[in-house]
Amino acid sequence: MKKKSTILKDIANSFVSIPKGLWVTLVNWSIARPCVTELYPEQRPELPENYRGLPALPVDPKTGRSRCIGCGACARMCPEHIITVELDKTDPKDRKPAVFEIDISRCMWCGLCTEVCPTNCLVMSKNFELACRTREQMIYTLQDLMRLGGEFPPEPETEEEPKET
Amino acid sequence: MDLQSLMQLGLEIGKIVLIAAVVLVFMLVAVLYMVLKLRWVIARIQSRLGPNRTGPWGVLQTVADALKLFQKEDVIPCGADRWLFTLAPALVFIPAYMVYVVVPFGHGLTARSLSVGVMYISAISSIGVIGIVVAGWASNNKWSLLGAFRGASQLIAYEVPIILALVVPVLVSQSMDLNAIVSGQVGNFWNWNLFHVTGWPMLPVAFLMLLVAGFAEINVVPFDIMEAESELVAGFNTEYSGMKFALFFLAEFAASFTLSAIIVTLFLGGYQPPLHILGGQLTGLALSAVSLCWFMAKCWLLVVFIMWVRSTLPRVRVDQLMNLAWKVLIPVGLGNLLLTGAYVTFWMPK
Repeated sequence: MKKKSTILKDIANSFVSIPKGLWVTLVNWSIARPCVTELYPEQRPELPENYRGLPALPVDPKTGRSRCIGCGACARMCPEHIITVELDKTDPKDRKPAVFEIDISRCMWCGLCTEVCPTNCLVMSKNFELACRTREQMIYTLQDLMRLGGEFPPEPETEEEPKET
Repeated sequence: MDLQSLMQLGLEIGKIVLIAAVVLVFMLVAVLYMVLKLRWVIARIQSRLGPNRTGPWGVLQTVADALKLFQKEDVIPCGADRWLFTLAPALVFIPAYMVYVVVPFGHGLTARSLSVGVMYISAISSIGVIGIVVAGWASNNKWSLLGAFRGASQLIAYEVPIILALVVPVLVSQSMDLNAIVSGQVGNFWNWNLFHVTGWPMLPVAFLMLLVAGFAEINVVPFDIMEAESELVAGFNTEYSGMKFALFFLAEFAASFTLSAIIVTLFLGGYQPPLHILGGQLTGLALSAVSLCWFMAKCWLLVVFIMWVRSTLPRVRVDQLMNLAWKVLIPVGLGNLLLTGAYVTFWMPK
């Protein structure tokens, strides 16, 4: 007896719930929700400000080179030991790296290297299209990292502000 | 046999072949477009874009898919029964194709107007079950076999409510000839079987039953337990690839058009325009053309409705499906039939 009544209840319910469900899909179908699909190669994704792409060395527009002083803090910090830094010792007053390589194939995009960088010269850039055909191509040299890093943004002049106030 | 009668025979055979070819081409084109439309509709409902790369707006997507299927290797699993495995797609496809023989596409546009059209449709479309069982059995695969068993129980269970629903408009129209049923609904849309005042409430109930049972019969999503991707890989056609799979696919989509065509013919005035002034007063070839357009428009609306339901409802369980057929649809159908019989015998205006 109890079972019979649930069947009748189910039938009655279906006359309400099915049109309700159809209405939901109809609203989606017609206008209400825009497509979430991105037409990727033509339509670029909007990356968030703190996006962690390839760690790269932006070029300082004043000097035309990276601000890296070759200290190797990033290489020591890297959990995967994928960064190789060698200091250029030709001119002791001008500290710059002779070799700066990142083997991106093992990078896990943690961003620790950029956090320890004393000159903030290593940043997580927004490059994410890193597909290539060989393992050798996944090792990025200083030139590659500077090319992919772009330029430093004009500096926010934070040091002068306290003097004015 | 003299020359003249031979020529007549040849002419007749040529006519039959021509009609068969026209229907086949129509079916192929319709299915190609229906698959595309289904993907667009489901994509849109799920806030996606759907196919849009192959050709302008992606219209060539299904053509490309079909070409891909043509090229595929025809794999027959080594444990399979070769003959039955090859025969099964044909057993499913041919009935789906043969149903088109009696469908009145427009005024005077029926391949063969049979006086037992409704019975022919229900008889022919139930042959497809055999193909599905054969496919599942011959594949020698547990998923296929489970799918086939489910398909057999589902399709045989739902044959009954479908026939109980088909009988109602037949009783009211006093004819099994689909053309006669359509001509019985001539005039404006309130003369259609679904909306006809005198047929209330038996005809709307039969319409609803045919719609629900039809969903099970054509094996689309709320009732697709014999394919049930998440449970049975792909059900009875798990082992099929290439052209054989294409035949199953074709039959499935052709069946959903057939269901729409049957519902339109029996309940929604067939090829009649919704208002008499929208083409009912024409004669000859113009009438045929206009009525064909109306028929296609109605069928298309129903096909899109099927897609809409398909992208809305989740799949039912096997036991729920069986309960629906045996505990709800069949008792309701029998009661409805009794009521219709009483109505036709005692109260129907002659």
